[in-house]
Amino acid sequence: MEEFIDQTVLGPLTELGRQVLTILPNVLAMVLLVSAGFLMAWGLGHGVERLMRVIKLDQLCNRLGVNAALVRGGVKSDPSRLAGRAVFWAVAVFATVAGLSALNLQPVNQFARSFLGYIPHLFTASLILVAGYLLSNFVWQAVLITAVNAGLPPARMIAALSRWGVQLAAVAMALEQLGIAKTIVVVGFGITLGGIVLAAAIAFGLGAKDLAKDFMERRLSGGPDSRGPDDLRHM
Amino acid sequence: MPPTVELAPETDARVQAIEETDILIGIPSYNNADTIGHVVRAVSAGLAKYFHGSRSVVVNSDGGSSDGTPDVVARTSVDLGAMLIRDRQSPLHKIITPYHGIPGKGSAFRTIFEIARRLKAKACAVVDSDLRSITPEWIEMLIRPVLSEGYDYVAPYYLRHKYDGTITNSIMYPLTRALYGLRIRQPIGGDFGFSGRLAEHYLDQHVWESDVARFGIDIWMTTEAIASGARVCQSFLGAKIHNPKDPAADLATMLMQVLGAVFALMEAHHHAWLDLDGSNPVPLFGFPYEAGVEPVHVNVDRMLASFRQGLADLEPLWRQVLAGDVMEQVCSLQGVPDQDLRIPDELWAKIIYDAAVAYRARVMPREHLLKALTPLYLGRTATFVMDTQGLTSSEAESRVESLCESFEKQKPYLRERWKQFVTT
Repeated sequence: MEEFIDQTVLGPLTELGRQVLTILPNVLAMVLLVSAGFLMAWGLGHGVERLMRVIKLDQLCNRLGVNAALVRGGVKSDPSRLAGRAVFWAVAVFATVAGLSALNLQPVNQFARSFLGYIPHLFTASLILVAGYLLSNFVWQAVLITAVNAGLPPARMIAALSRWGVQLAAVAMALEQLGIAKTIVVVGFGITLGGIVLAAAIAFGLGAKDLAKDFMERRLSGGPDSRGPDDLRHM
Repeated sequence: MPPTVELAPETDARVQAIEETDILIGIPSYNNADTIGHVVRAVSAGLAKYFHGSRSVVVNSDGGSSDGTPDVVARTSVDLGAMLIRDRQSPLHKIITPYHGIPGKGSAFRTIFEIARRLKAKACAVVDSDLRSITPEWIEMLIRPVLSEGYDYVAPYYLRHKYDGTITNSIMYPLTRALYGLRIRQPIGGDFGFSGRLAEHYLDQHVWESDVARFGIDIWMTTEAIASGARVCQSFLGAKIHNPKDPAADLATMLMQVLGAVFALMEAHHHAWLDLDGSNPVPLFGFPYEAGVEPVHVNVDRMLASFRQGLADLEPLWRQVLAGDVMEQVCSLQGVPDQDLRIPDELWAKIIYDAAVAYRARVMPREHLLKALTPLYLGRTATFVMDTQGLTSSEAESRVESLCESFEKQKPYLRERWKQFVTT
């Protein structure tokens, strides 16, 4: 009976205990790494947020129109807080992946390697999106002002199309960077942009042919502006 | 100590040969072959007629003209006998030199200032090379106050049509007057007289790699003269008729350059204007008269259309620039019929002051900010035209005067907003 109990109950338990003892340091290491990582994430996140407030990132973003865009997108946190949270989660994810690696399990290790290899692409894609967003705002502003000063009636539409064009290009580049449906993105972007240009050309040709004719006539003949003389000297 | 300006070897040799001069007249140029001959003749005659006993030099600082401008300068001479001038005692030297550095009028002036320093000139003047109305008397009016009356800076005072120089009338004159407390009617005139001492002061400023070298040199010279405590006066020169400015430069670009220069100077010299109130007249030399000037045709409808489009399309940008109540006043003009639409003097003063503060605070890219003001400026110009239709130029001048008073009255508003920005 004792032998039976030894073989059927204590044996597996001893084996389990041995396995637990073997893996326990790894588990402890994981807990330690994850805890330390989260602690570090909290500290760094907090520090970065304060640093961003000191260098007045919020005011800078306000001038660049980022704050307004965040509000439009339903984000209530200010950019400094967002930067702090981004650092917190970046460090926390790193710590978690590092902690899981400490378990030394094959699938987990494989996942960690793939994840770490993907991070540069994620980072680049994020940068492309942020830069694309800022550039699109700049372009929108410049095109809007130029179109209004040139007296073009659809100034807002032209500016909005410019903004969307830049943002579309940025999204396409980011997706390509992430390796998501590379071919579809490139082809889709080409078709969309080509379609917009063609649509604009047709719309202008059909809807504003008189305007175009008038413009070309004035350009080619060098004749006076039909809206009347104006030789005001500003300087 | 700023670096000395490098001169071309031939120019350097010529300067060494001349050694010293009493008077130096600078003429910056770039492809002005068709007009510069007249300018050189007027300058030569003016020097011979009014300063025949003084050593004089004419400097043409050229930006690489391809139409033979320097050749025209070299071969231009004036028949003094025909002008009944017989007692010229000192020869007139000419220096024709290219200038180095960033292309622009400012760099051309820098070379002129450097030659003035090396020749120890007592009095200098600069005149534009596209002038068609310059006479020998201009030289006397620009130089005499420096040589005989001890002034350091002579600003021009022109006879102009009421709609000629609307940027000067609606922004530059009122703003400069309210800021620095001196009533200089043409702060960006382009033709100035100044002492050798002031030329040296100009040279010593570290601005020659900035936008001042390209454009904005006129307002910079005026402001720098005031801020440095120089003795300033004005001289009446009569009508100013010149070739149109660069036709490729559109209004928005012009406005950006002029406003950018004056706003940048506000930053640099805030200690000189922040606590000043009111303004004082500046002595005017010469014999002012009124005469018919070239008529100017104005299309008010187009200006109003531009203002209305700005109001409809640029509102989100204007909101970033203008204070809340100012923006509300601008927006309230939306439904007003054309014939009743006016941007009142006080509102206009606040708009310009808000723009200066926004420029300082960099609420958006500065080029965008300045160009976005174009429809507002056109709205204000339309207001001025509608208010002064049927008035003579001198009657219209009283409207400019009342605008200046509004700028002065609103100065505490600027001061408060400026300080608020500096402390936050």
